[in-house]
Parts: sequence; C-alpha cells; structure tokens
Amino acid sequence: MNAFEVPEVDYDQYTNRQLAAVPLAVLALAILILVGWSLFVSGSVAAPGAPVSPGIDFTGGSELTVVTSMSKAEIGDEFDTEPISVQQAAENAEAETVGPNENQYIVRFQSFDTQSLRDQAQSTDMELLSSSSTSATFGGDNQTTAVVGVLIAFAGMSAIVFALFRSFVPSIAVVVSAFSDIVIPLAAMNVLGIELSLGTVAALLMLIGYSVDSDILLNNHILRRSGSFYESVHRAMETGVTMTLTSLSAMAVMAVVASFFNIQLMASIGTVLVIGLAADLMNTYMLNLSLLRWYKFEGVNR
Amino acid sequence: MSGLRDNWRIILLVVLALGSTVTLLVPGATVATGDNATAQTDGANASAAGITNLQYGIQLDGGSRIRAPIVGITAENVGIQPVGQGDSTNETRAIEDELVSQLGVDPVDVNARAPNEPNADGTVEVYTENVTQAELAAALQEQGYDVSESDVRDGVTRATRDEMVEVIDEKLSQSALSGGSVQSAQSATGQNFVVIEAPGRDIDELRSIVASRGIVRVYGGYAADNGTFVRQQIVSREDIDGIGNARKVDGRQGYQVSVTIREDAVDQFLDGVRATGLDEPNTARGAISCEYNAENPNQSSGKCLIASLNNEVVTAKGVSPGLVQLFADGSFANDPTFVIETNTREEARNIELSLKAGQPLPAPLDFQNAQTTSLEPALADQFKTNSLITGIIAVLAVSIAVYLRYGDPRVAVPMIVTALSEVLLLLGFVSAIQFPLDLSHIAGFIAVIGTGVDDLIIIADEILQREGVATGRVFQNRFRKAFWVIGAAAATTIIAMSPLTVLGLGDLTGFAIITIVGVLIGVLITRPAYGDILRRLVLDEEERSE
Repeated sequence: MNAFEVPEVDYDQYTNRQLAAVPLAVLALAILILVGWSLFVSGSVAAPGAPVSPGIDFTGGSELTVVTSMSKAEIGDEFDTEPISVQQAAENAEAETVGPNENQYIVRFQSFDTQSLRDQAQSTDMELLSSSSTSATFGGDNQTTAVVGVLIAFAGMSAIVFALFRSFVPSIAVVVSAFSDIVIPLAAMNVLGIELSLGTVAALLMLIGYSVDSDILLNNHILRRSGSFYESVHRAMETGVTMTLTSLSAMAVMAVVASFFNIQLMASIGTVLVIGLAADLMNTYMLNLSLLRWYKFEGVNR
Repeated sequence: MSGLRDNWRIILLVVLALGSTVTLLVPGATVATGDNATAQTDGANASAAGITNLQYGIQLDGGSRIRAPIVGITAENVGIQPVGQGDSTNETRAIEDELVSQLGVDPVDVNARAPNEPNADGTVEVYTENVTQAELAAALQEQGYDVSESDVRDGVTRATRDEMVEVIDEKLSQSALSGGSVQSAQSATGQNFVVIEAPGRDIDELRSIVASRGIVRVYGGYAADNGTFVRQQIVSREDIDGIGNARKVDGRQGYQVSVTIREDAVDQFLDGVRATGLDEPNTARGAISCEYNAENPNQSSGKCLIASLNNEVVTAKGVSPGLVQLFADGSFANDPTFVIETNTREEARNIELSLKAGQPLPAPLDFQNAQTTSLEPALADQFKTNSLITGIIAVLAVSIAVYLRYGDPRVAVPMIVTALSEVLLLLGFVSAIQFPLDLSHIAGFIAVIGTGVDDLIIIADEILQREGVATGRVFQNRFRKAFWVIGAAAATTIIAMSPLTVLGLGDLTGFAIITIVGVLIGVLITRPAYGDILRRLVLDEEERSE
C-alpha cells in the first residue's frame, strides 16, 4: 500500500572497508577541494586564504536592491565604484504576477559607504528598495563569531553523543558522519559558487541537528534493541531514510521556491541543506554503518 | 475508558493550540512582557498590524537598523581617589581640564571617572578619533599618573555605553520615530556596539537623529580691542529648564525655539550677558545689531547672541530692544526665557531635539565601522508574502512525502496536523511575548517543521511496528523507546544552537532561539500527543478486528 518503500540493502555483499571507502573518498575529495581553494584560489601556497569564499556578511560590503528599467551594465555604470555583481531578481517574465518585479536588481559592492551609494542610486532613476552594509571590522567579527559558533556547536554535539552512548566507536562514528555532513556541503558551495553568509552558517548548524537524528536512530536500533544486526539496520533505515528524504524534499522545494522569489537567505539555507542531507544519507548508511558493524562483530570482542 | 487520563496529552495540545490561536488572532490578547515587548509594542501600533498579533522585524515590515561601535579610547588603572574619599570630584575635573589643553580636544570629549569602590582604580576616556592611545598615556603620565600605553584600550567604559543607550533612547522617543529601540551588544570578539532600530523608517532619517551629538551651546560674541571677535559661552545644557517646540517666527521669516534658564542659573547667565556686553545696546533704537561672518568669524562686527550645535554655529543674531532692556535692568530674572532663532525649520528642530534629549550623546558613533540595514516596506511586504508561500509549499512537499510513505491517511493526516500545530504553538508563543519576526526566524520555523516531522516519523514507525499494541504496557514501552531517540536528538539540537543565542551574530541569534523553543514545544507537548493519537488509532483497529 505504500507508494515508496525503503529498499532493503544487502549489506552482506560488501565488506566494511568497501562500505567505508566511498564516503571516506568523498570526504577526502571535499577536504582536498577546501585545501586547494585555500592554497590556490583564495590565497597562495605561501599565504593560504579562506577555504570557502566569504560573502559580504564576512568581508564587509554593501548590497542595494533597486528597481529600474536600466540594463545590468547601465546600472553598474551609474556608480563611482564598480559593483561586485548585479543580479536580476527574476529572470523570467512570468514572475511578474507573483514574484519580484522583473526590473528588480540586487547590486553588491565591496565599499561599505552606503550613504554615498544610496545617494548615487537616488540621483538616477533607480527606485531604492533596500540597502545594507557591513563594515570590514564587523565582517571580521562576524567571521570569528561564526567559526566559534560552529566549533562550539560541534563540540557540544560531540559531548552529548559521547554521553549518550558511552562507548568510543559508536560515538565517534556519529561525530565523523556529522563532520563529513558539514565538510561536503562546504566544498560543494565552492564548486557551485555559493558564498558563505550568515544564512549558510545557519544551514550548517541545522545540519548538525539533522545529521545526528538519523545517526542516533541507527546506533540506537543496533546497540540497544534485540534482533539481528541486519534486522535492526533495516528497521532503522526504514525510519531514517524516510526522515531524511522528507526533510530533503522540503528543503529542495524551499531552495527552488525561494530562489524563484529571490529570498536569498532561504534559498541558500535550502541549497546547503539539500547537499548536506544527501551527504548524510551516504554517511549514515555507509560510513556509520560500517563502523558499527565492525564494532558489533569484531570490535566488541577485542 | 477513562478518557481524560488517557488522553491528557492530546487535550493539552488542543488547549494550547486554541490558546495560541487566541493570542495570535484576538486583538489585544497578547501578554507583553520582557524587553522585546516593551521596545517593540509601539512599532506594532504604528504599523497597524494585520490580521494577526504577530510582530514583524525590519526585514518583514520595513525599517532601518544601525549597529555601530562607539568612538573612543579608555585608560584603565588610573589612580584617581575613590568617590567619597578626598576630593575626587575636583581631581577628575582637574584631569579633564588638563587633558583639554594638553590634547587640544573639546571638553565634551574627555571624561575622567573616579572609582566607586575604595582600592579600585579610575578610568579616563577620550571620545575622538584624533587622539592615539600613546598620546593619552603620555598626557596622563605628564600629569603624574602611573599609566602605561598598555593600560589604554580601544572602546569606552560600560558606564558610557549605558549613558549612550539612555540618551539615544531619549532622542528616539523625542523624535517622530515611534517604535524605535536601542540596546548595547557585544560581539564574540569582545567588540561592543550599539544597535539602533527604527521600524518603518528610512535609514537617512534614523542616521540624522543619532549621528548628531546634540551639543547645544549659547555664546555671547563681541569684537574685542585687539581686533579679534571673542566668543564666550553663557549657556550650556545644564542651565536650561524648559524647552519650547520649534516653530515659525510670527510675521517674519525664520524659525525659533524658546529656552528657559533654570532659576538658580539665572544670575550666572546674567553675569555672562554683562561680560559680553549684551546688556548695552549698540544701535540708536536700543537694540543690539550683529554682523556675523560665518566664513571668518574674526571679521564679524557688532555684538551677537550665538547658538552652536555640535560646535557648528547655527545662528548668530542681534538682540531686540526689549530683551536688551530686560538684560540691562536684570528683570530678565522674573521670566528667564529667550528664543534661539534659526533660518530653517530643520535647524530649529535639531536644537529642540538635542536639548530635549536631556544631555548630549557622551560619545560619537563610529559610522565608518558600522553595519546598516534598511528595507522599504514594499520590499518587506514582498518578502512577507513570498516567504509565507515558500513555507506553505514546503509543508505541502512534506505532506506529500509522508503520505507516499505511509499510504494511510489516518497516520499521515494526524502527523501533518501535529507538525502544523507545532508551528501554531510556536507562533502563539512569539506573538505572546511580542517577539519581532524576521526572515531568519522563518528559517527557524522551517527547521522546526523539519525536525518535527522527523520525530513524528520515528514515533509512528516505532508504535506501528508489527502487531499487538493491545496492552498499555507495550505501548508505553514502545513510546519510551521512540522518545529516547527523539530526546537525544532534541538535546543535541538544543546544545548545538545554544551558543548562537548568546553570541552577538544578529540574524542568527533569532534563528537559534526559534529553533530551540520549537524543539522544546515539540518534545514536551506535540510529539507526545501524537503518540496518544496513534495509540487510539491502533486500539480502535484492534477492537474492530476482534
């Protein structure tokens, strides 16, 4: 009667090494991208830069939302300082009825002197809908705070997981999966050209929560329930995969709809979560599972 | 069946859901408590909230926000006598006067504070960008205080920050910016700053109010024998008792603000008037005429009554025969009121606001290093509608996924209804405490729906597994098992989000608060209720099959 069933995977076919190899390879690739980005894209080998591209929330800069009949290039020419980017709010004409105005543009600048930028915009026939600016010092502060926030959140999550399971391998399995769930979307952001913003930091923190859900569920079924290992795995997967896919569909929809409406905060949260939840599926049912199987069948006896 | 006892969780949920609906929809049903509430209530009235009692922040209602540090440096560990011991008032004044001449700064830009407790040290602050830490340390050493350069830090003292907040708050409430709020905050790196919000207002408007220090001074000016034009201050803010509203001058061009001198300062004021010769007419009809040269004050002639705002001369005018007469015979003391005349309404209004704020801003705000946000109400409306649509579509996606998985609407429908009731409770909560909603909070709501549905799936799978929930004990056991996972996941989410509630990350703070409150509502109220709903469902089925 169910329209979608979680398929029963024949884990017996694969060794623990084989199972763990795939997620570990993806994690390695992600780390490689981040390191490469830091050494060759944002910085140099001598002076490594940031592993991701921080947006104006972190570097400082300004953003104006304007409505104008001018073209993208014309908008750029109206300002003394060259904008970093001029983005059209809605590319397609149908958007006129529901979404933002077709003539609505988001213009970003490295300069954070909003007052003069606002004056320049208002002196032309642009209608100014919003402006925001972050000074470089505030941006730097935000960056430190965001990094500290993510680290504290991660440390807090690890502490709770260790307190819940009180044994090393199952706990570290959850922590490693969660780490990979964060690192993979970070690398993907570089590839897709998504900048790190306060919104994407929020998404990474949400990922800690989502990621741990399915891992705790799996560990709980395997370690604390009766029944064979594979029975437990299958039951945990039935619930866990449903959970993750449900969240994934909600986030995918949110990413698409919000980018259509040009609500960037929600769009970037959605995109990062879609990637992170997909990574979570892989990490939970390959990496975490292989570690647990090793622990259950070999590790415990040692 | 003892319905009440078995179903108390469902009943609690229904009661709370009804309560939330009331708080959300019935006008005036909110219990405004807490700082947010008091700060934001006016804003709600001004924006004539829609059909709900929800409060919206800048991003969803339009308005402006400025986060700016305060300009200044502070020398700590300055050995000033504590308050109440010796003559600390004179000592601090002496330090200030000396610094003014040493550093060549305006008297309002230095502030020495004696410690409030014995054995503590005092502080000396300088509120200008033109003095370096080394210069302040050197100046204090010259005065004989044991202060090294490492004792001087960027930023101002807590007392100054509190004064800043107080004065800005007063300025906002005196201006037309209803619903404006101000508070001081600290970033994770220890940087202190002031956050000023004005719902529904343009950033230029907000900036013009808080950018001005509001230092009003009145001088008497006269051409001295040595060819210079001497300016002597005769009134400062402390001497003023009453301030009139800025208004147009009758029958002539120009605007005016009337000012009343405090009774016990009148003598001092009249001394100043006489010292600058404003009691001796210099025209035939008994008035005082003034030719003030703004470009080059020393080229001025005559005698002038000069008013300055933030050290810039706003107006310099002569004195009418009547007032000269009052000054001359001292009867001014009977009704110690005179008017400051300006050319434009804006100048008059600025003087009025600055005087009414009680005291000038202790220190300037550092707009060079500020963070600003400003949204037109039109764009905010667009965000409001579109994020609502986005949320609804996301809920639909979740519903479809859940329905596809379980096939049985009797499992799926209560699941979706429960998840939505979680949102309803959360909305009731935020409207009850008048928490202003922003875009980032909508993301928090989505996070709550997401984890909420996840947990409901865990409960459903655990309780519906195989057959035989006939006895209450089996149900209890399964429910407890499911709850272990849910509780563990909730604890992790709360721990992960809690640092964000205290780190001053602006947008993320609200996101974290919403997520934590939502998870708590879910774990304590809605998710247990869903367990009960499922049990009824399963029991009914078994009764029927028997």
